[in-house]
Amino acid sequence: MNPQPRTAIPTYTLNCRMSQEAAALERLCQVVRVRGFRIARMSMETSGRILDIALTLEGSRPVAMLQSQLEKLHTVTSVELVSDALARSRTA
Amino acid sequence: MNGAQHILDAFHRHNIHTVFGYPGGCIMPLYDALVDDVGVEHVLCRHEQACALAADGFARASGRLGVCIATSGPGATNLITGVANAYMDSVPLLVITGQVASGMIGTDAFQETDILGMTLGIVKHSYLADSAEALPGIIEEAINLAREGRPGPVWIDIPKDILLSEIASPAPASQPQPAQPRPDISEALAMLRSARQPLIYSGGGVSLAGAEDSFRNFAGTSGIPGVVTLKGIGNAGRHNPGNLGMLGMHGSRAANKAVDECDLLLVIGARLDDRATGQLDGFAPNARMIHIDADAAEINKLRPADLGLRGDLKAILSAFTKALEQQPLAIEDWQARCRTWHTTAGFKAADNEEPLAPITGPAFIRQLSRIAPDNTVVACDVGQHQMWVAQHYEFDHPRHHLTSGGLGTMGFGLPAAIGAQFADRDSTVINVTGDGSFMMNAQELATIRRYNLPLKLIILDNQCLGMVRQQQELFYNNRESHINLDDNPDFVAMARAFDIPALHIERTDQIRRGIETILAYRGPMLLHVTIRRDENVWPIVKPGASNRDMIDEPRRKNTANKEHAA
Repeated sequence: MNPQPRTAIPTYTLNCRMSQEAAALERLCQVVRVRGFRIARMSMETSGRILDIALTLEGSRPVAMLQSQLEKLHTVTSVELVSDALARSRTA
Repeated sequence: MNGAQHILDAFHRHNIHTVFGYPGGCIMPLYDALVDDVGVEHVLCRHEQACALAADGFARASGRLGVCIATSGPGATNLITGVANAYMDSVPLLVITGQVASGMIGTDAFQETDILGMTLGIVKHSYLADSAEALPGIIEEAINLAREGRPGPVWIDIPKDILLSEIASPAPASQPQPAQPRPDISEALAMLRSARQPLIYSGGGVSLAGAEDSFRNFAGTSGIPGVVTLKGIGNAGRHNPGNLGMLGMHGSRAANKAVDECDLLLVIGARLDDRATGQLDGFAPNARMIHIDADAAEINKLRPADLGLRGDLKAILSAFTKALEQQPLAIEDWQARCRTWHTTAGFKAADNEEPLAPITGPAFIRQLSRIAPDNTVVACDVGQHQMWVAQHYEFDHPRHHLTSGGLGTMGFGLPAAIGAQFADRDSTVINVTGDGSFMMNAQELATIRRYNLPLKLIILDNQCLGMVRQQQELFYNNRESHINLDDNPDFVAMARAFDIPALHIERTDQIRRGIETILAYRGPMLLHVTIRRDENVWPIVKPGASNRDMIDEPRRKNTANKEHAA
């Protein structure tokens, strides 16, 4: 039997800037998870009380929905979508 | 001034004079400060969950900030359900918990929990105070944040050593609330004018924005028929002919029919919750959608809006009203159709004329609605009785209907009613509950007695978890599973054990006298109402199905279909 190709899962890169507070990173990751995205890659730099986080995400829901939820976080100052919907096909 | 005293100082500056709490080890410095503070009334509930739910009820009824306090560990974890409840319904809440001393955090100390980590998903924001100097600023920011924009709970976890530390920093100046945007409504107006069958779908956001008057002016001036969510009940007032009532799973056929047939849906302060929309693909299939909300993240979240307007609901609705006063809409045919649906397919419940017949939930609630004075606050629990209140009680204001909409928290009603009574000691407050829900926070009878609150408690007792039983009957081949509560305690004796008078009724001819007796009594009183076990809430949409596929009460099915065919 030939393996069936899985549905392509869109990939996005988001750059987030947020202020450093207790659980700042956990809060960001929690929103990503609960809104239906998986973190494929993540890097972070700190500068004083500023955190710059680059997230590579996979998810089939509209990324704009995630963006607006992340922007609601009190400690997040900006969310920038870097690469939009680079569909990646995966096979079993 | 130490950290604890700074908290009380902030309460005074923000006119916070009522808080709900329960003391314990790590929060003791704050309780010590309360001894010397006569300006803050601390209400001792008997369980931390009830503290949070009472603060929630206080905020819902009054529009002011609710405050709850607990200690670390189990005190904090017991708050969680109440805080999640407030989060789901956007209720402004300030939550203060003690934490183990800074140096002990992370050592698995006695009554230590990582409450900040546990609650990330149920708060608008949260803080772990990491220095004494930062505390005054955190308190100030938290109070403002809980109230501004779309309100919500904000949690401050404070290590005991910080509560005890002397803090030299002065209280920060109060921060003005950031102005909400006032979007251009010209495109929305053009959409409205081109629509032939527009419909308003309003929710809890109207009262959260304090936009009740602006909403009624807009609805009245525009003449656009409306439907409401569970939390929007009361938005349109008691006798508004254009109000088709609640939509959704237990909404009226009239409301769901109007949504199905409208060509423009004007969503105002609502979030397209699945209980309201049913299967989203089949929701308002012929309509363009304008979504007005204070929270940008709600717009396009579940269904793309043809136009989104984010901003202050009061300002937006006033602008609409002004424009429509100059040039009214011509939608008379649509209005007439909606009125017909409302007449033929609105909520109905025949008053049972047979005096010895068992009491039905809808008939009881209809009588309660007729007898209770204007401005009565009704705090519900969750289940069948909650839906009967939503369907059959005619509310004149959304803040008079306290219901756990998003989280659906059994046990909400009694502490929420306590909170509402503290918000206005002179108002009539009734907790309508079921026998299942009542037992979830029954310990709060002690709080009612302690403060001699003139609350009225009504238990609609069907000796089972009625809503679960109903769904098991309809969707699980009538296989009843763990819903039987026929070993309930004697509720009348139970109330009397708390020194609260109570009476029991079970026949239709006893309803009026029962309601009038508890309302006339000057203190707290409980009315235990035995209702039929096998009664269901009608109509119903199967979870996940389209609202178009509502199921009517079997014996009324043919009649209802004929009405809709007409």
